[in-house]
Amino acid sequence: MNDFSDLEDELRKLRPAQPSPVLFERVGEALKASRPFAAANATSSWWRFKGVTENWWSLGFSLAAAAVLILFAVITMERRHEQQEAVAQSSAAPETRPAPLETERSTSRSRFVPAGGTNLVYNARDEGLHFADGSERPLRRVRYNTQQTWRWRNPETGASLRVSYPSEEIVLIPVSVQ
Amino acid sequence: MEPVASHENWRNCFSEVAPGLLLFARQWVQSAADAEDIVQDAFVKFWRRNHDIANRGLLYAAVRSLALDFIRRDARRARREATAITEAEPAIEPSFELEDDTQSALAAAVDSLPRDQREVLILKIWNELTFSEIAGALGVSQNTAASRYRYALTNLKKTFQPR
Repeated sequence: MNDFSDLEDELRKLRPAQPSPVLFERVGEALKASRPFAAANATSSWWRFKGVTENWWSLGFSLAAAAVLILFAVITMERRHEQQEAVAQSSAAPETRPAPLETERSTSRSRFVPAGGTNLVYNARDEGLHFADGSERPLRRVRYNTQQTWRWRNPETGASLRVSYPSEEIVLIPVSVQ
Repeated sequence: MEPVASHENWRNCFSEVAPGLLLFARQWVQSAADAEDIVQDAFVKFWRRNHDIANRGLLYAAVRSLALDFIRRDARRARREATAITEAEPAIEPSFELEDDTQSALAAAVDSLPRDQREVLILKIWNELTFSEIAGALGVSQNTAASRYRYALTNLKKTFQPR
């Protein structure tokens, strides 16, 4: 490209026309408009404010509620099934162990106990400083995308149940200006 | 490399790329206002999607795509733009800030280049993209991008001599 180096230098001296200042304002407005969860909903400046995306939350709660309902349904069905088994066994032949013990055993087998939970943050975005309504201090807005997972475990049978759903969280952090 | 959209530093980033983006958009639209609309849409989309600055070829591809959509959307406008281009009418607003006659002649020579050569030249000289990035933005091979650039310079050299 040495043949063209002079020409390239001349070309680089040409300066493209500058954008109008209005364009910067328009881009700023468009970017602001793309973030509908502004700090307007913020409460006290020293509390962490958790804004939510309603769609994600409703989806998450729906999934969690569905999982809990399924869990109860499974437990109830299993309990009924084992009670029926106990009745059948006691009517067919005298059982050495009394029925109440069997019922207790089936109840304990159906018990799921919380085994833990995780909140995996897979994306965090600093959205800069904002002024919330009624707040004189700027707040830094950080948006977190997380995957929340809750686990239950049956200690008797070793069975486990896991519910996982995505969520989005906006955190406003007070910034001290010195 | 730091993601371009990870912070509220869009103004710094935009002020760096906007002149070159506008010049690139002016390949398809004669009006500076229309070019600004296209650049705004492309940049906002790029920024919202948190693209990495290493993928800036996507930004130019978005400008190109939006500019072509813009032309297609309005048939009357498309005819007007096509007529303006075929008749080689001067742009409504200058694409460059011209300081003297030499620069005016050079800008005119650039305007007279075939579009496929001119867009590579604009991406290379005023947007400082690599041939790899240019190839990605235009959907051509790297060799094609490099040869178009060379053709553009060869054609310019025929019509313009630096003083």
